[in-house]
Amino acid sequence: MARVYNWQIGREMSYWYPESRPQKQFAAVFDINKCIACQTCTVACKTTWTSGRGQEYMLWNNVESKPYGCYPLAWDLKLLDMLNGQEWTGNRYDGQTIFESAPAGERALGWRPETQDYAYPNVGEDDCSGQVNGGASFSMPHMNWFFYLARICNHCTYPSCLSSCPRSSIYKRPEDGIVLVDQGRCRGYQECVRACPYKKVFFNPMTGTSEKCIACFPKIEQGIQPQCFVNCIGKIRMAGWISKPENARADNPIDYLVHIKKVALPLFPQFGLEPNVYYIPPIHVPTSFTRQLFGPGVDEAIRTYRNAPNDRDLAGLLCLLGSSEMMMPRWKRQGDTVMGLDEKGVELVRVPMNEPVHIRPAFDRLYQVQRTNCP
Amino acid sequence: MRAVIWVLIMTMLLAAACRSPAPRSNEVVAVAAGTVPADPSDPIWRNAPEYAAKLLPQDLVDPRLMKASTAEVLVRAVIAGSEIAFRLEWTDPSKSDLPGAGQFIDACAIQIPARIEPDLPDPQMGMPGKPVEIAYWRADWQASVNGREDSIKSLFPNAAIDHYPYDAPPLQPGSPEQQEFAKRYAPADAVGNRREGARPNPVEDLLAEGPGTLSPATRTTSRASGVYGQPGWSVVIVRSLPEGLAPLTRTQVAFAIWEGSLDEVGARKMRSAWIPLAIREAE
Ligand code: SF4
Ligand code: SF4
Repeated sequence: MARVYNWQIGREMSYWYPESRPQKQFAAVFDINKCIACQTCTVACKTTWTSGRGQEYMLWNNVESKPYGCYPLAWDLKLLDMLNGQEWTGNRYDGQTIFESAPAGERALGWRPETQDYAYPNVGEDDCSGQVNGGASFSMPHMNWFFYLARICNHCTYPSCLSSCPRSSIYKRPEDGIVLVDQGRCRGYQECVRACPYKKVFFNPMTGTSEKCIACFPKIEQGIQPQCFVNCIGKIRMAGWISKPENARADNPIDYLVHIKKVALPLFPQFGLEPNVYYIPPIHVPTSFTRQLFGPGVDEAIRTYRNAPNDRDLAGLLCLLGSSEMMMPRWKRQGDTVMGLDEKGVELVRVPMNEPVHIRPAFDRLYQVQRTNCP
Repeated sequence: MRAVIWVLIMTMLLAAACRSPAPRSNEVVAVAAGTVPADPSDPIWRNAPEYAAKLLPQDLVDPRLMKASTAEVLVRAVIAGSEIAFRLEWTDPSKSDLPGAGQFIDACAIQIPARIEPDLPDPQMGMPGKPVEIAYWRADWQASVNGREDSIKSLFPNAAIDHYPYDAPPLQPGSPEQQEFAKRYAPADAVGNRREGARPNPVEDLLAEGPGTLSPATRTTSRASGVYGQPGWSVVIVRSLPEGLAPLTRTQVAFAIWEGSLDEVGARKMRSAWIPLAIREAE
């Protein structure tokens, strides 16, 4: 085991391989507050990548209703249960990561789902955390609540899928940090399925190898965002590149949201993988729940997000999510307009922060008819 | 007449008693025969002495097998011409030959140093510069050879599939275009890594130079046949005679068994130490 630095837990930790960051790291921000669980992302991925034999059950992208929803069954609860105390002191995690709590003979703490565990793609869909009594939903955070958690592979900085493979069949691309299973080398041992805490590697029983989200690398290589991003109806997603915190750039949209505004947070940072999908936490959910999912930064992130109407840059940048299919490694705001830019600063898209509003009177005087909104 | 029949019966019984059970041996002795037996029930096996190979959990490299399972594998060997056949028999109360999430497959393997030399490679998959040859048999491959259909319905009989994109018109089922298109949806197959699917042979020849280095041999020349019954598996693997192995030379052999129902796969296996392998010419 090597000692590596994981900024998400504010300390060094043990990992199977020494620290080796890619030249660029693929990352994403998902604004949970905008997700409507239409599953368009799920279908976009499914039809693009996993409509073959043996892939029937696989959802490289899935959306689950929290608190009860999960795919595969209890993916999060099982590991949380195994991973004892998860205390933080400020931004430093005092508990053990899955690497540090690996039992004898294992490279990481983990468990392996069985076929049945994949049979309920979103058990608990739209189930509320409790009974909704009169008036309960009118306070913030809500007394009873649910929210949608869209999940893909996190293309982790310290992937446990990769470190658990005894054959080194999983690799992290140095050019973009995307984590891939070498389909020529994998022998289907399912060690990665056991070790990935997010359960984002899937065993294909018809090819006998494990398969996973590929971050749509053929699109990324052309500067285009992945399928589940560009098809998102709610425009909750943005793909980009994340820097180490000390190298954060204000004109990099991912850096700005994650490092500068700290409004987007990793999922279960305490597992220790430095996952690279960052979530803007749901603002209507008690933070006693979301703190466990997104770490100690949740309260501050929610305060920052709720203050967006007074923060022109943050509000502007949030308007860029879902505005173009192109990757936008840079951005800037000019007045009420926000622009997505390429690496050289060339404009890719321009979005007004306030859409023009036209109010049509309910009665149309010209035709002497009442207007309706029906199509 | 009755006396003649009695004499005949007694002679046959005596002959059988002399042949079986074969004496246990303290090394694997391959006896020469006219042809190598392809089948575990071939009577030729009775001529070969039986070696009981004690198995240990693989607990030297992670991931390890922390709990011992299959205690021993009974081995017999026969040579004929340029081939050597091994019969491996072990107790396994449950047949595991269906692949799936969290499901693992019964399997066995025979390992022999690639070269006969005084310094042996590590018994754990060899070492750099000292490769080992491995013949690896798997129960799901055997099921495929025995005629199990290459369909998701073989794994989930009630599965309902609308269609696969490569099954849709205008592609003609079975046509080269259709098969080429289907590969796009089976990436491992597309790069020639056939871990599952229809196959003519349930065994694979491999090379290794240490844990984690297993790779396919240039081509598989071994063949195998496995039968499940009580108390477990009986598998014959026929491979080419190790280079240089002759009546007056010895090499070493090691065995590994995977018990699928106990999640044994890859490095999580029961394995033997090196065991001397000798040849005995026909008497
Ligand atoms: S989320 Fe899981 S599959 Fe993806 S890189 Fe991390 S450990 Fe690997
Ligand atoms: S990034 Fe691509 S491969 Fe990964 S979940 Fe989204 S659509 Fe699927």
